[in-house]
Amino acid sequence: MKTFEYLRPTSLKEALDMLKKHDGNVSILNGGTDLIVRMREGHSSPEIVMDIKKIPGLDQIQVDEDRITIGATVLLNDLGLNEVIKTRYPYLAQAALSVGSKQVRNRATCIGNICNASPLADTATPLLALNADVHIYGEEGIKTVPLKDFFVFVRKTILKPTEIVTGISFKQDPEALGIFTKMSRRKEVDLSTVCSTVIRSGSEYRISCGAVAPTPVRLAKTEAFLTGKALTSEVIDEACKLASGEVTPISDIRASEEYRREMVGVMLRHALSEWL
Amino acid sequence: MKFVGTSVKRVDGVKKVTGSLKYVDDIKLSKMLYVAVKRSPHPHAKILNINFEKALAIKGVKDIITGDLFTKRGGLYLEDKNFLAVGKVRYRGEAVVAVCAITEEIAQSALEFIEIEYEVLPAVTNAKDAMKPDSPLVHPDLGEYKWAPIFFPVPGTNISNHYTLRKGDAKKAFETVDFVVENDFYVPHVQHVPIETHTAIAQMDADGFLTVWASCQSPYAVRQALSEAFDIPLNRLRVLSPAVGGGFGSKAGTTLEGILIPFAKKFPDRPVKLTYSRQDEFENAYVRQGLHARIKTGVNKDGKIIAVENEFIWDGGAYNEYGVNIAKAAGYASAGPYDIENVYTDSYCVYTNHPVGGPYRGFGMSEIHFGIEQNLDMVAEQIGIDPVEIRRINGMKPGGVTGTGEVVEVAGLMECLDIAVDEIKFYEKSESTSPTKVRGKGIACGWKAPSMPTNAASSAIIKLNEDGTAHLLVSAQDIGQGSDTVMTQIAAEVLSISPEKITIRTGDTDQTPYEWQTVASRITYSTGRAVFEAANDAMNQLLELAQIKIGLSKRDLELRDGYVVSKIYPDRKVAISELALGLTFEDGSGIHGPIIGRGAFIPPNVRNADKKTGLGEHPVVFWTYGAQAIEVEVDLETGAVKVLKVVSVFDVGKVMNPQLLEGQMEGAIAQGIGTALFEELMLKDGKVLNPSFVDYKIPTADDMPEMVIKFVENPEETGPFGARGVAEPAMVPTAPAIANAIYAATGIRLNTMPLTAERVLNAIKAKDND
Repeated sequence: MKTFEYLRPTSLKEALDMLKKHDGNVSILNGGTDLIVRMREGHSSPEIVMDIKKIPGLDQIQVDEDRITIGATVLLNDLGLNEVIKTRYPYLAQAALSVGSKQVRNRATCIGNICNASPLADTATPLLALNADVHIYGEEGIKTVPLKDFFVFVRKTILKPTEIVTGISFKQDPEALGIFTKMSRRKEVDLSTVCSTVIRSGSEYRISCGAVAPTPVRLAKTEAFLTGKALTSEVIDEACKLASGEVTPISDIRASEEYRREMVGVMLRHALSEWL
Repeated sequence: MKFVGTSVKRVDGVKKVTGSLKYVDDIKLSKMLYVAVKRSPHPHAKILNINFEKALAIKGVKDIITGDLFTKRGGLYLEDKNFLAVGKVRYRGEAVVAVCAITEEIAQSALEFIEIEYEVLPAVTNAKDAMKPDSPLVHPDLGEYKWAPIFFPVPGTNISNHYTLRKGDAKKAFETVDFVVENDFYVPHVQHVPIETHTAIAQMDADGFLTVWASCQSPYAVRQALSEAFDIPLNRLRVLSPAVGGGFGSKAGTTLEGILIPFAKKFPDRPVKLTYSRQDEFENAYVRQGLHARIKTGVNKDGKIIAVENEFIWDGGAYNEYGVNIAKAAGYASAGPYDIENVYTDSYCVYTNHPVGGPYRGFGMSEIHFGIEQNLDMVAEQIGIDPVEIRRINGMKPGGVTGTGEVVEVAGLMECLDIAVDEIKFYEKSESTSPTKVRGKGIACGWKAPSMPTNAASSAIIKLNEDGTAHLLVSAQDIGQGSDTVMTQIAAEVLSISPEKITIRTGDTDQTPYEWQTVASRITYSTGRAVFEAANDAMNQLLELAQIKIGLSKRDLELRDGYVVSKIYPDRKVAISELALGLTFEDGSGIHGPIIGRGAFIPPNVRNADKKTGLGEHPVVFWTYGAQAIEVEVDLETGAVKVLKVVSVFDVGKVMNPQLLEGQMEGAIAQGIGTALFEELMLKDGKVLNPSFVDYKIPTADDMPEMVIKFVENPEETGPFGARGVAEPAMVPTAPAIANAIYAATGIRLNTMPLTAERVLNAIKAKDND
């Protein structure tokens, strides 16, 4: 690993000043479970690393009547084991607890998982399906962007070099039923070959998938097809076919494009069949 | 027996569990220097020019070397490799230039300032293609190399060893049989992934005495290899292996030690260190060779196998100094644990521009059994008998004859098979609780002999202390298998003192006595026998002195709980502590001096087989037989295979330590499941695509099934207390048993490992479309 300068601001303002001072040429260190690995393997060689873990207030899961906000430094284990999340949004809890190992989750954060912008980020699909918003602090103060607009490409987001994500929030929807599915080569400590979250809220369906496109995606066509329809096995068959066609996966060493397409259908079928 | 056969706790357990055990990488010495290695980006290329002046000018860089400095080739069985590439590179990742600096960071950062000009050569990336006459040659000068006379390289080709086995007349026999079943199988390269990566430190004293600390399985073999490579007499070369964090074969022989020695010579009194990263471990340590196998079985209606014909093509990678012996071992085991009259086998070790193949738990057996045991199930199906029956008919029984023509006296295979069949309830159908999943049970047998020279030697020393405790010195290395504990138990049993009273020391060629190598599942058998002899020697000395002291004949004395005791008059005894330094008389005079027991062992009467036919009366020391029965559940929608239950039964001769042995058998199942379902070194144009745990998966605890471990004990006549080796054999049947279980569940045959979900699903779909 190359040598680098280490900064540790204790307020958002200080953090922003540091980013501005160094012209944004800074890697933000949160849990470090992606960044440090990339640095050690030489994929990333930042000159300055700014650790945001000492900024107070970012490590909270705030439960309001109508919204839940996950702070930037909330650990995946804390998210996955949070009582409210576990009871009302078990699919989000499961996604959080499916990342890496217990040791990794004691360092890794949900927001880091999102900002890393991997196509297969496990916490992205439940948050996408929950219509979550990303809160970004920058020179103009806080702005809010829908998560679906946050991802740009593999490992690329709309985040500017002088911006910091302070948290992610979503509107409370306790009636929503959701199912998270992760398919991987091995049961534990593995990356998703494909992952998905399917949410049913009233007559609406929201479906998101990971590892099937350059970013985690919502399956708009399939959702539109399903919304308002009564579930029958014919409808499910049709939806699965649509979903398999709607995704744009690639072949890599984990799986082929064809396998991923087929698994998208299998995951959707399993989820929808729960509500038959 | 008091200690042998009981679950004595691991003697190295506390240190390992608390983390206080010091491995080589934990050693910090003053004035240490660090080495980094510039590696080839090409699988096959001529080195035209190397310019390292810029790197050498960096502050803190002490020296830089290239292969030109030491052009003498070395190798265990075939001298084909250099520690740094000479003239050309033969695999991607081959060490080309080494930098020595005062810190690891400086050494590492200097690498990018080294410029190497290559002329890229066409790469050989398929072992079958490598055998074609028009293939580029990885080692054009093979004919000039030196090799041990039991191997058969073919100069002018990529074949580094062509082993042949010719028993009976297979060609003719095939004309008479009722059925012939012939199939191709492929087993990819895998890596050992020991938790501790390879690491070594070398330091030369001002007077030219070289000390090497290495994480290695075989300190004496490393000493020998380094002595030859660098012309250092054995008495001036000390190899220490203080602890080994897993080996599985990858730390047999030498890998990185030689890179350090030129620096150690140049900077006397300064220790020089190199530790492999995990990526290095995947790309530049040994890997298990890939195997293309073709297996042809001729059988009559009654189920009797009349003939087999096998072709094994081993993808040995860039250097085959060790791999040639895997091709040989696979060749002489190619009939499997079956009594077959006509056997015709060609086993080729082939050079390619792939990572270097080397010893891996099983030494070829897991790979060939993947084909042998599946082909056997197909044979059974063809003639309409079940998989157990075909094995009962053909399986080795006492009095049977092996593929190499040896008459077998001890073979517990049938007992193992029966227990496995019972425990898995082979004939009871089990149903999945899910409508989209199916279950099936499969069975496979396996055998292995220690793959070692006919005269592989062991030795042991026992020193008694004046308080009645003892030190046991051997150079068998505890690489996790528990040998420290079992050796201690053997000494404790013979000397009749508790294991806590014995301290075992290993891994120091200056202090602990000769051991050929910690490989081949031979330690309990061979070193164990040397320890047994050493303890008996110490015992004899004690009895000699005691008979003078007690005044009773030696033949009526025995060791019991720290005393020499009369068998007839139990109150007549003398503590061994009183005799440990010799016998002292009432007048103050003494005789004999300290008790030091000496034990040495070479397996008796193991003789080379015939070079052409491969046949011999006693070409290997023993065969270990076993069987596994496995139940799997296959997800028909995703192709995912879940191993539900594994029954593993082996004839180990004598269970020395039940708990340790169960652990070893369970570890073998884990490794077997890993290689069967997940593991593959993915190679493209010579490049390893998955050189990390991100995409090279080994099983976690969560992937492990219910395991039932059983043993059969038909004693090995020359083994200590009847023990024979089982470390490697334990893994051999796992992959084919899983494949056979998948067939039972789904009706699909998978001839290529690993049996990934996608591969299984594709096969299910292909079958449905038929």
